[in-house]
Amino acid sequence: MNALEIKNLDASIGEIKILRGLDLSIPKGAMHVIMGPNGSGKSTLCHVLTGKEEYEATGSVKVQGVEVLGTPTDQRAGAGIVQAFQYPVEIPGVTLRDLMEELAGDQDDPDAFWARVDRKRDEIKVGRFMDRAINLGLSGGEKKRSEIFQISVLNPAVAVLDEIDSGLDVDAVREVAEAVEAMRTNELAILLITHYDRILRYLKPDRIHVMMDGKIVRSGGPELAAELEGTGYEAFRKVAEG
Amino acid sequence: MKPLTPSSSAGLGGPAWLIASRSAAAEAFATAAMPDPRLEQWRYVDLEFDIADYQLAVTPGDAQFEADAGPTAGRALVVDGFITELEGLGRLSELSAPPASPAIDTGADIFATAHTAFVRDGVVLHLERNSAESDTYLMEVVATQSSTLSFPNLTVIAEEGSQSSVLVFCRSADDVDALVVPRITIEAGPAANISITIVQEWGDMTRALAQLHTSIERDARVHLGEVGLGGVYSRLFFTVDLQGSGAHSEISGLYFGDEDQTLDYRATINHQAPRTTSNMFLKGAVEGSAHSVFTGMIRIEEEAQQTSAHQTNRNLVLSRDASAESVPNLEILANDVACGHASTVGPLDQEQRYYLTSRGLDRDRADRLQVRGFFEEAIGLLPNQAVAPGIRRIVATKYAEAQAAGRA
Repeated sequence: MNALEIKNLDASIGEIKILRGLDLSIPKGAMHVIMGPNGSGKSTLCHVLTGKEEYEATGSVKVQGVEVLGTPTDQRAGAGIVQAFQYPVEIPGVTLRDLMEELAGDQDDPDAFWARVDRKRDEIKVGRFMDRAINLGLSGGEKKRSEIFQISVLNPAVAVLDEIDSGLDVDAVREVAEAVEAMRTNELAILLITHYDRILRYLKPDRIHVMMDGKIVRSGGPELAAELEGTGYEAFRKVAEG
Repeated sequence: MKPLTPSSSAGLGGPAWLIASRSAAAEAFATAAMPDPRLEQWRYVDLEFDIADYQLAVTPGDAQFEADAGPTAGRALVVDGFITELEGLGRLSELSAPPASPAIDTGADIFATAHTAFVRDGVVLHLERNSAESDTYLMEVVATQSSTLSFPNLTVIAEEGSQSSVLVFCRSADDVDALVVPRITIEAGPAANISITIVQEWGDMTRALAQLHTSIERDARVHLGEVGLGGVYSRLFFTVDLQGSGAHSEISGLYFGDEDQTLDYRATINHQAPRTTSNMFLKGAVEGSAHSVFTGMIRIEEEAQQTSAHQTNRNLVLSRDASAESVPNLEILANDVACGHASTVGPLDQEQRYYLTSRGLDRDRADRLQVRGFFEEAIGLLPNQAVAPGIRRIVATKYAEAQAAGRA
């Protein structure tokens, strides 16, 4: 059974169709990368996966075999799919620790949860902003680390990382990539969305998919990123249309 | 109970100056009318009562100190307008002359006139020159009897260089249909540093119309914290006069109205001297059919050059029938000033809700966390942090109850 299985996914916002029959499967333990030009629907895919309200979606999204399409966002987290946001919102007055305390209340074993929080806090180096309002006044790199920290603590079956490398300088991209590699386990499926191949220098993805006009137009191994670097996205558009 | 007549006023006793001051106001009160709702200071609210429906209590009800204020430097308990306990503080009736503080314009407002006419006695905090007291002074104001009205009074006279903090805690039981008209006057001498936190937890049927007047002299600083939680109608009318160069006014607060409450804030900050600064940060929420009003006037006189004045009022409207007015105003006569105001009225933030639910919290829990965070910014700014845990608890309970009842 795949950790994530997307079949014939359509999505629109108002009258605008954004996803058009997207299929994608990720086995557990694998990291898949979706690359695509601006406007190809990458961020929409992420939000549709985690149930953002303004999108209308049809098709099927299964997380560990359980259909999640049509369920509210919190139930999707419960089913095991969590997103690291490209632009994480600021939550004034609520600290990362406050959020952890809320989450701890749901745990069967709160002690184990807090042990994981402490371990991940040190590994991902978020100790400095545990007691600050979520995302408020954090640098780009700190926001990404905070997102990776939250996902690591939640320990989902599927992690969706939306442009986890955007807005970062070279050093920060490497740091974030290291944190992503550190997340990897035999259980966790990772869907990483990116616009550039820059972060891929530091990662070992299993599959690369090229997304255009709301669907996957080509899939391949890590070598596909290099090919894309040479030809650009337009060559893929022609293939897709041809 | 005694009606609001000149003879009731004359029977209150005290020193000659106090009797004379009451008597003049009682005469004015006899012909005063309830406020004209068309006046700017009374817009957006419907008073739905008449002051003549209430009378003066003849004895205080039974009440004890309840506030969790930590160690106090002095404390006063005022029950139904009577000072029933007093330690380490003075009385208005013990003063041989009226306090030098400027009187509130009694002609403007029937409640101010009534206060002057029928104030029984007042609590006086007189801080000597350069005195510094680290423990807080506590005044608890309690209403226990329905159909009564009372006029609690506090005067703070802070001489040059003195430092102190004051906590005023107002409460009544939910079934007490009383009218309370408190007046607080603060006079901060040069370089004095005073903080005052007012926590209002009136019961569901109590009406309160409080007046607060602060004057701040050269290089002095007054920090006012205000927390409005209770009362079917609760108004705070306050003015701050920045009279000396370098004077600073800091105002921080929050309010949360539920069910049919009206919470009504009228602020006027007068910058009257050069290099004066003021900063106001107020956050409010309303649910059910509650209504809140904030009108803030910053007035900068011609001579008040190089001043800075900022005002922020943010409101959360948590249900369809609730409403909030936020009306900031600036009147600037000087040309070298930095002024700003920010005012927002809106529902809970959808993006914050999405973010928190994406972490696995259900919608109600995510909203509770967002509301808590919204108020946390204001609670963290209150000068008296000893009251913060109790306020967090009340705010959380209010919102959780509203959610459970389907009002928010």
